[in-house]
Order: sequence, then C-alpha cells, then structure tokens
Amino acid sequence: MAETSTRTEADDAGPEQPEARVGWRYTLTQVRRDPTALAGLVLIAFMTVVALIGFVDGVVFDFLSEYAVFADMGVRQYWLAETVWVNPATDPANARILRPPVGLTNPYYPNEPGTMAHPLGTDHRGRDILARLFYGTRIAITVGIVSTGIAMFLGTFVGAVAGYYGGWIDDALMRGSETLYAIPFLVLVIAFMTAFGRNLTYAMIGVGIATIPTFARLIRSRVLSVREEDYVEAARAAGVRDRNIIMRHVIPNSFAPVLVQATLQVGVNILIIAGLSFLGYGAQPPTPSWGQMLNNSRDYMLPNPWFSIWPGIAILITVVGFNLVGDGLRDALDPRINN
Amino acid sequence: MGRLRYTISRLLQAIPVILGVITITFLLTDAIPGDPVSIMLGPSPSAQQAAAIRAKFGLDQPLHIRYLNYLVDVIQLDLGTSLYYQVPVTEKIAERLPITLYLLLSSFTFALLTAVPLGIISAKRRNTATDHVSRVVALFGVSTPSFWIGLMLIIVFSYWLGYFPATNLILPWTSPSQIDGASTQVDVIVKSIHHLILPTITLGTLQMAAFTRIERSSMLEVLGEEYVKLARAYGVSERTILRKHAFRNAQLPLITLVGLQLTSALGGAVLTETVFSINGMGRLIITAIQNQDFQLVMGTTLVFGLVFVIGVIVTDLSYAYVDPRVSFEDSE
Amino acid sequence: MSDEPLLKVENLKTQFFTEEGTVRAVDGISFEVNEGEIVGLVGESGAGKSVATSSIMRLVEDPGEIVGGTVTYKGKKIVDFEEGPDGELRQSPEMLSNEEMRKQIRGKEIAIIFQDPMEALNPVFKVGGQLREFIEINRNVSSEQAEEIAVDMLREVGIPEPEKRYDSYPHQFSGGMRQRVLIAMALACEPDLIIADEPTTALDVTVEGQIIDLVEDLQEKYGTSFIWVTHDLGVVAEITDRVNVMYLGEIIEQADVEDLFYNTKHPYTDALLDSIPRPDQSVGELKPITGVMPEAINPPSGCRFHTRCPEARTVCKEVHPTHEDVSDALESSHRVSCLKYENVGYDEAEPLDTEATDAFGGGLVEARGEEQ
Repeated sequence: MAETSTRTEADDAGPEQPEARVGWRYTLTQVRRDPTALAGLVLIAFMTVVALIGFVDGVVFDFLSEYAVFADMGVRQYWLAETVWVNPATDPANARILRPPVGLTNPYYPNEPGTMAHPLGTDHRGRDILARLFYGTRIAITVGIVSTGIAMFLGTFVGAVAGYYGGWIDDALMRGSETLYAIPFLVLVIAFMTAFGRNLTYAMIGVGIATIPTFARLIRSRVLSVREEDYVEAARAAGVRDRNIIMRHVIPNSFAPVLVQATLQVGVNILIIAGLSFLGYGAQPPTPSWGQMLNNSRDYMLPNPWFSIWPGIAILITVVGFNLVGDGLRDALDPRINN
Repeated sequence: MGRLRYTISRLLQAIPVILGVITITFLLTDAIPGDPVSIMLGPSPSAQQAAAIRAKFGLDQPLHIRYLNYLVDVIQLDLGTSLYYQVPVTEKIAERLPITLYLLLSSFTFALLTAVPLGIISAKRRNTATDHVSRVVALFGVSTPSFWIGLMLIIVFSYWLGYFPATNLILPWTSPSQIDGASTQVDVIVKSIHHLILPTITLGTLQMAAFTRIERSSMLEVLGEEYVKLARAYGVSERTILRKHAFRNAQLPLITLVGLQLTSALGGAVLTETVFSINGMGRLIITAIQNQDFQLVMGTTLVFGLVFVIGVIVTDLSYAYVDPRVSFEDSE
Repeated sequence: MSDEPLLKVENLKTQFFTEEGTVRAVDGISFEVNEGEIVGLVGESGAGKSVATSSIMRLVEDPGEIVGGTVTYKGKKIVDFEEGPDGELRQSPEMLSNEEMRKQIRGKEIAIIFQDPMEALNPVFKVGGQLREFIEINRNVSSEQAEEIAVDMLREVGIPEPEKRYDSYPHQFSGGMRQRVLIAMALACEPDLIIADEPTTALDVTVEGQIIDLVEDLQEKYGTSFIWVTHDLGVVAEITDRVNVMYLGEIIEQADVEDLFYNTKHPYTDALLDSIPRPDQSVGELKPITGVMPEAINPPSGCRFHTRCPEARTVCKEVHPTHEDVSDALESSHRVSCLKYENVGYDEAEPLDTEATDAFGGGLVEARGEEQ
C-alpha cells in the first residue's frame, strides 16, 4: 500500500537500533554538571574518609596496640578506651562522666565546661563521642553497602528469572515477595535476628534479604519490557541460549535504574539498621553504632542532650549524601531528552 | 459495574495473601530458638511437668499438624494465650491495636495534608526559591532517622519548653475517669491530641518528605502532558488546569507510594512507640519476640499482616477509583 | 466575505534558548489564511511547522519564545513586535495579553487539533465531560446546553450512539474515534479558524481517509478555515486550497495547490514530489532527498537548502534568497525563495558540490552549516 509521504534518506536507514545503553562518559558529564549530586559525592567522600580513619583506629591500632613496642609509643585504640574523667565510685552523680561538647556546660555542673580533649563530649561511660562516631561511620557504610549488595544481586537474579520465564514461576515469585512484604520489615528482621543471632552480621543479612523484593520488582519490570524488544527476539531466533540472552542483553540494559535504586537503598538501609541498633538489634556493646549510641542517650537526655544530637547528625549527613548522588544519577540517566 | 467487579476481585485476591502471611508467621515463629517449656517452668523442669505442658500446648505434635491446628484456631478467631501476659492474645491485641492505628492514621493524614499542597506548589513554582526550600526540606525528611526526630522533639518541646508530654498516647474515647486531670470527655480529647502531636510528627516526617517528592515530580510530569496543553489551547485557566485537569492524574503515583509506604510505616511505628514509651502493637510485638512468647508473636504478626493487606486493598481501590483505565477494561 | 484575510502572519520569528545555543525554529515566515480556505503547511520533521502553529496560538513553552513578527487575526494583534529605542524588537502595546488570548482567542476563535489522539485526551475524565467543559468556556451557553451541543457534535463527526459514548472514557475509544472526538471539540466551539497539527499522522491509512472526508464535509457545512499541518503531500493534494512549504524555519514556496503540483518552482518542492512513490508508475528505484535536514541552531549559510539541493550553485552558498512572487500570468500569488528566480548571478555561477549533486545514495550524512 503506497503511502504518499515525503521520504528522505533517514527513512531508509534500516531497522531501528536497540535502545542504546547510556554511555558512562555521558552520564558522568551529566552528574558532574549537577551541583547537588556533586555535593552528595563530597559528603560520601567525606564520610568514607571518616570511616577509613575509624577503620585505622578500630582495627589497625587495635591490632598494633597488642604489641608492647607500639603501645609504648602511645598507639592505642582510641574509641574503646574508657577515659573516665571522674571516678564514679567516689562521685555518685555519674552524670559527670557525660562531658558536654567544647564550650558548653552540663547543667548539673555549670563550672565545668567541655574541653577540646573531647570536642563533642563524652558518653555515659566517659568515652569520647567523636571517636565513637568515627568508628560508627565505618560500620554504617559497610553495613549499608553489604546489605544493599545482597539485595541487589539476589533481587536481580529473582527478578530476571521471574520476568524472563514468566508463567507460574513469575506468579509464584511475585506472590512470595508480596507476602514477604506484608510482614512489617522491622519485625521480620528482628525475628530473623532473634532466631539466628543478634549481631551486625545478621542485621546485614536480614535487611539484605528483606530488601530483595524491591530489586526483584524493578528488574522484573525492566526485563518484561526489554524482553519484547526486537533484538532479543532476533537473538533467540539465532539460537542464543536463554541464559546468555539474559546476561548479555537484558541485564546490561536494565542496569541504570538498578544503580539508582541501589544508591538510594544504601541510604535507606543505613536508616533501617540504625533503627534496629536503636532497638538493640544491631552491633552489640561495646561496638559503637550510631543507632545504639542513640539508644544509650535516651537515659541521659537532661544532663547531656548533645549525646543524642551528634549520632543523628552523622546519620543524616551520610544518608543525605547517598540520596543526593542517587537523585543526581536518576536525573542523569533519565532518557527523556528535554527540548 | 467495572468498579464493583474490580473491588470484589481484589478482595478475593487478598485471601491467598492472608493465608501466606499466616504460614510465614507460623514458620518464622517456629524457627525462633528457645524452649517455651523452660520459659514457663524455669530452668530445670521435671520430665512430667514438661510433658504435661507440651501436651497442653500441643508442642509435641509434628509440624504440619501444629500448622493445621493453628489454621483452624485462627479461623475461629482464637489466637491462643500469651505466655508472658497470661491473657488471651486477642485481648492483648484489642488493647494495643487501636493505639497503633490511631498513631498510623494520624501520621498518614499529617503527611498527606502537608505533602500534597507542598508538592503542587513546588511543581508550580519550579526552580524558584520556594521550590528549592521545599526540596531541601523533603530531602532532609527522607534522610533523617525518625526516632532521632522523636528524641530531638522530646528534648526541645518536652524537656526544654515543656509544651508537650513525652510519653503515652491516649485514645480520644477513653473515659475521663481513667485519666488524671480529665473531668469531661472534651478534656480527654484535648489531652489525646496533646499527646498525639509529637509522635505524629516523628512518624509522619519521613512519609511527608517522600510524598512531597513524588507529588512534585508527578505534577511536573503531568503538567507536560498533551491533554494539559490541549486544555490550555482551549482557553482553560491555569488555576483550573492545576486544580482539575492535572491534579487527578498526578495523584496516581502518590497513591501507589502510599501503599508501598505502609510496611515501612508499621516499622516506623515500632520505633516511635519505643521512643515515646507508647503501649501499642509495635512494642507488644518486640516484647513478644524477646520473650519468645510464640502465641503472641504469631498473633501480632498476623494482625500486622492483615492491617497491611487491608491497607493495600484500600490503596488499590483508591487508585482504581481515580484511574478508570484500571477497572473499565473494555475498548471498542 | 471580506477582502481582509482572516489570519495574517508577517515575518514571525520564534526561537528556543537552550544550553547548546539558540535554535531559530521559525525564522521569519509570512502567509495568510482567508475565510473558508484550507491552507496547508508542509515540511519534513524539524522544519518548524508545529512551532509555527504554537506561536500563532501563543502557546510556545520555555525555553522557547516568540521574538519578532506580527500576527493579525480579524484585526486583533495576536503577535506584534515593534522596534524599541535601542533597535531591539520588543512586544508592542497592541499585542494581546495572555489573559486576552486565553479568553478571546484560544478555543473561541482559533482551535487546535493535536497530532496524537491517544495523549490529547485526559484519561481520567469522561469524554463528554471534557467536551462539555470546553464548549462551556468558549461559547456563552449553560451546562445543559453545552451537553446537548456536545452530544450533537459527537453525532456529527460520526460517532455511533453519541449519548452513550458521552459517558465513556478515552481508553474505551479506538484511535480514529478519538481523533473524531478531537475534531468534534474543535468544531463545537465554533471557531473561525482551526489549526490541525498532523491530525492523521498517527492513524491508519483507511482511517485517515475517513477523517479527511469528514473534515471536507464539515468544512463545507460550517465554512471554517483550516491550517492543515502535514508532511504528507497526498493529503495536501486532497484537501488543501493553498500550500506553504516550510524548510528549516522558513517558507520556501507558497502557491495554490494545483500550481504547486503542476508548476513547481522550488527545487525542494520538486524533490519532495519526486520522492513520493506512485502507484501508477513502477520505477527502478525510489528517489529520496539525500541527506537529513540540518539542525536549526546553525543553519547553512546563504540558501538553507543548498546543502541538499540538486541544482545548487556557488552563489547559493553565499546569498540568502528573498521570498518573491514569481507567479505566471494566470496564477494567483505564487511565491518562492530561490536564487534561480533572482538576479544575483545564479545562471553564471558554477554548480556546487553537495550531497545531492554527488553520486546517488549519499548515505546518512548530516549537513551542518559550517561548510567552508
């Protein structure tokens, strides 16, 4: 049926090319141009450095301080050391252990302001808060990334299988993840941890597993749309095996939204695990995690409210960082081209 | 007709999900280690007593029998007895559930009432100062731990300024005799609201921020749609376009998000209740798990799951109400 | 029937200010629409046709802006720019304000039919309600009267069971039906000018035929003028009275439809006509126009078409043609922008080496304006 329209060579170019994988260079340029995303990267970089310092102190120094030669030099694990300012045995008001930040005073002891030795103050056992925050950063970032990683890999697998094969496999997996979703997240993980162990490792695993549905659903919808693309059919017609099709075509094309989700999810998971620690289901004392520090601070809100403030700010900075980067990535990878 | 049929089918679909919730609850609870017998009788029970307890609670039966027994019980609304509290589970839940629901409803309402206008204004005044401020606020809202907000609110408004109480939640229909300082029902209601404010803000901030972000981006997207351009081309005023043509369509992603947020809100409720020492379902479930109170754990998890399922159904139906494409499938 | 044209566009200029540069989407076009006329606006994608129609409705969105020209409709100045004291063009006080445009012109006097009927109807409202709302706004009638008119209009455009269909949602209609609804919307408001922006592009050919027949009938009945935007010359031949051919933001040929087809003056129009496959002829190979339309950010120097013109000469690269009337004795106004018809030394100049004058099948070459 002849169509009387104007034809140009553009129409003769041949079948449409598959949706191009968004180039990394292009994405990076977009992100580089976006000031808020850059700010987010700065924050994350900052926190990573802090985490590294925490790692050095918590692990390296801890290891080295075992040896007399280093201990004599003054190498010691800073965050754990209980630098008790006043002997609680002789001073019944152990509120004095809680030093306020530099320049401020504890309302019970107005004559003893905070000093630079403990710039953010000390906690209820005399330990320096700043040092504990440093260590907590490492925990938070590690835990956020590992749990997201677990969810991402397993979720991608589940979602890819469900989306590609469809049928009853799809139904079963989707119903399964929906039911998993129906039980409150926190409750699920707490039950998991009560069953297996109340420490950080199981927190990571538990949160990771509970986050699988998010990624599964994402990948599944991407797979469903990519599956219909011509080049996938062409590959199948050419005899390429299903597994290879998934690995080589489907997953790379679905990567962009997954990356965005993963970045945002790290932030979310940090919040969740902070909540778990707050309830006592995370890092066990004396390991400092931010949530746990906040839990401890509850009993001391009057003498030293600052104890409650700093860990929250640390969480805030870190999560804001991940959110900014995630948002920036999402904007950069948005295929919609503005005029 | 399409909508009615959709509603019914949706309700029917809920049944297998509920069944799934019951099953998972059962299995999870079973996985929790700990011997309920030693909890009840102390560390060294006599063999006879132990056997008696086991028989009484049916703990000696194999897994599938216990499962079926449980299923039967649930259908008859018998959720067992709490080991720790020594009262029927249903009683404990009835005591605590309204409080948590009160909190949840209040925080969602707060979140929606603030987020929707904020998001719309942000979209309308894109890239102006108002927009930037609201985006920053929303960003911080989703990045801040809710329990920390609670702590901060308590420090500032409770301890420092003394405006609001730091603990407990009172239901507005409690009788005045049960509350000190309240002589009439109106007093109770006032006190109830007074206690409600800080926990609401604590739980609702995260939702509010998330909803604002979605509302804004959704509105922006809708405002760029062809049908909005058409309305403009026919002389419809900007106000009417916002209020009528764009508004309805923009709510759709928000409704979906509300459904998804339910599960995190239930978790947030647990945290909020802990911070404010509120005797709600959240704390109940944690206590139950810690005490390995199997019946109570199963009962509360089940109820939570049910609440969630109902919530999802409500959101699905709302979505279908707004978007006729979902329920009216026919086309010529 | 008065002598004054219904719509008079003079030197309209619209530009988009983007990060990559200023896009001169519409760069000084002029044409007229008389009462009862159907005027075609033809061109490839990217020529600026949609921007032109949006400009007439004053619906150009950020980052676009109308920057010059005059558009007069029934004596009112929809667009009017004058030269300010600093030589810069600025909006004259006679130009209608946005509020005036909204209340007086849009929908009421000039209506528009969009290209994609799938997207143009609001999915969450009933079709009848949307129709009724527009009618209420643009005609002085009550709600009940508007509903009656809406149902009548649906019937007029050939939608069966219009009372029932009034309560249907857009997704319950097929593409062709939806386009009929959009036509009904436009006609129901009783404007004197309807702009149809590629209304049949998204439809099947058979449906397209029905829609065109419908429009012809309605046009005879109501006497509405049309601006019909399309890239399909077949439709142009069927329905239009006069045609404007656009290329890269400019109108390069204007004539009555028969003159355009049988007495083509511009090489571009020639090439367009040549490229149409004809069912009554079999050819060895098709003759597309080589190359792709350049981007409007940096148009080619001189005559904008010279990069793809089979008749290009060196002078075409240097001199920008003026739009002149070259009608033969019996024709009504026939205007063209081509150096062939001007006295600038076209005949003496050497032929230019372009993609078109090169061997056949130049491949997908994107011509940019920086040819040295």
